[in-house]
Amino acid sequence: MSVQYTPVIWNRNKIFYDAILLVAVALYLYVFIRVAPAFEDVTKPIDGAILRMRAFGSCAFLMLTVILCIGPLARLDRRFLPLLYNRRHFGVMTAGIAAVHANYVLGWYFAFSPTDRYVALLSSNTSYGQLLGFPFEAFGIAALLILFVLAATSHDFWLSFLGAPIWKALHMFIYPAYAFVVLHVALGALQGPADPIFTSVVAASVVLVSGLHFATGRMEARRDRGDETAKASLQEEGWVVAGELDDIDEDCAKVVTLSDDERVAIFKYDGKLSAITNACAHQNGPLGEGKVLWGCITCPWHGYQYNLADGRAPEPFTEKISTYRLKLIGSTILLDPNALPPGTHVDPVEIGEAA
Amino acid sequence: MSWKQTKDAPFFVGYLNAVPKQLIAFVGIFSVCFIAGLGLAALALSSTQNDPGNGGFQWGNRYENVGLLELRPYPVLRVAAEGENPARTYMLTGQGKRGVFSQAENNAGTPVNLRGVPVNRGDLTMIQVGKVEAAGEGAAEFTPSEPVPLGRWKLAGEICDGKCYAGAMRPGRGLAHKACADLCLTGGIPPVFVSSGAVDGRNFFLMADKDGNVLGDEIKALLALYVEIEGDVERLDDLMVFKVDLATARILK
Repeated sequence: MSVQYTPVIWNRNKIFYDAILLVAVALYLYVFIRVAPAFEDVTKPIDGAILRMRAFGSCAFLMLTVILCIGPLARLDRRFLPLLYNRRHFGVMTAGIAAVHANYVLGWYFAFSPTDRYVALLSSNTSYGQLLGFPFEAFGIAALLILFVLAATSHDFWLSFLGAPIWKALHMFIYPAYAFVVLHVALGALQGPADPIFTSVVAASVVLVSGLHFATGRMEARRDRGDETAKASLQEEGWVVAGELDDIDEDCAKVVTLSDDERVAIFKYDGKLSAITNACAHQNGPLGEGKVLWGCITCPWHGYQYNLADGRAPEPFTEKISTYRLKLIGSTILLDPNALPPGTHVDPVEIGEAA
Repeated sequence: MSWKQTKDAPFFVGYLNAVPKQLIAFVGIFSVCFIAGLGLAALALSSTQNDPGNGGFQWGNRYENVGLLELRPYPVLRVAAEGENPARTYMLTGQGKRGVFSQAENNAGTPVNLRGVPVNRGDLTMIQVGKVEAAGEGAAEFTPSEPVPLGRWKLAGEICDGKCYAGAMRPGRGLAHKACADLCLTGGIPPVFVSSGAVDGRNFFLMADKDGNVLGDEIKALLALYVEIEGDVERLDDLMVFKVDLATARILK
């Protein structure tokens, strides 16, 4: 959280995160370019430029795979949440590595020619009507452009400028980018002489990314089914049954699904109950999976905080989210499913009085 | 696990330096696995790359010889037999992705002294031309032999640009290299058919269309693919020429 825009608000965790990333990427490139060639069974060495373009290209592909796995992993097991925290640096670094790959391609396959290299890139292979021999470079260009746009707009300035829905929709283009990269590889490098290791790595990436997203989707669907009580419960005077007091741990929340795109987080703290929307104003993070820290709801993704009673970020921050009315009948929590405008104060329900 | 937040579960807030111990251990193990995994992936992917073959520039074996430049239909250097050395015909290329049509046309019919660097893979040799100059009056006149017809053949293989395949790039074939090959052929570098079956013991063929002319854009859709083509094969000294009938071309894979 910040009240002013600075390029990067560094903290110890971000420094560790980036250091580990840099070490891993540097090790990958060093082993690929410097160490592994000694173990190659080749008559003459592969060209240095081709070796480097393969190193950077495969590195970007693996990085993109890991990036896309972090989201579902963090949904399936919250211990992966620290990987989510600084994922944008991971993405920016991936765009940079992919750009180096593209630069080696331009400087080798499309150089040494009377034709301008950028013109050559777009004009030398135009067999768009055939699958084998398709200009797979086009998929790489499309993916790289998306990665550039995502990297350039990864800063919170753009999140604030575009608004969370547009920003989020824009950054969902990471999935088309991944699909383009897979096609780029499948119609290019994988069409060369048989390379079972590389083929296996690409297949494993696709299975892993698809499988984790599928598993997460099923888990979310199970949650929604398990929460049918909220939707189908008694509708006495417009209230729905949200659950029992004992369902909620102290300083934690229970998430209630009202519809496919509306979830409410009901927090229990200091002998009181408050309800707010489950979606963080920052990046739609699941607030109900956060905790109450220093009297504020704290998002598990990036630590954005809100007051429990009115859904407003503590000053000097300005974010605000919708609140909901609650009441208690015995130990049963009832929720008014009509969201109040973001930042509306709602008196917390005192557990002691009601129970 | 992540559905219901519990009081005892470790909770990570990125901007707080204090990270719960359970998470430090988990993230630490993940980090080690991530770093080691990338290192092993690099080793596996890089060390198992396919052999690009023995082609390459012969920088230590510069070429200089007197001969005649001809267009067959791409520029070649015809060198007379000398002693035990039979007559030879070399394919020619310029610097980078350029051909040497203009030098061949400007010096047609007169002996020249040609200097360059051979690019060689097995019995495929192409000379990257450095300098061409008139050989002068002392050069011996000779009449190059006419092509020897070897019949009509149906060959399966790949259409490559002769320079990269000969070793200017390692590897210099395949679909990943298709755009480069396209650019080379557009620049005037001779196309070479790399056949999976031999004709008269040879697998590399300088290509021409069925009438012996330079191939045009119609070849582009077939570049870098495994194709089958029929055509007439000729021997020009030690160089094989495949005059392809593109109407018979078929993509095999």
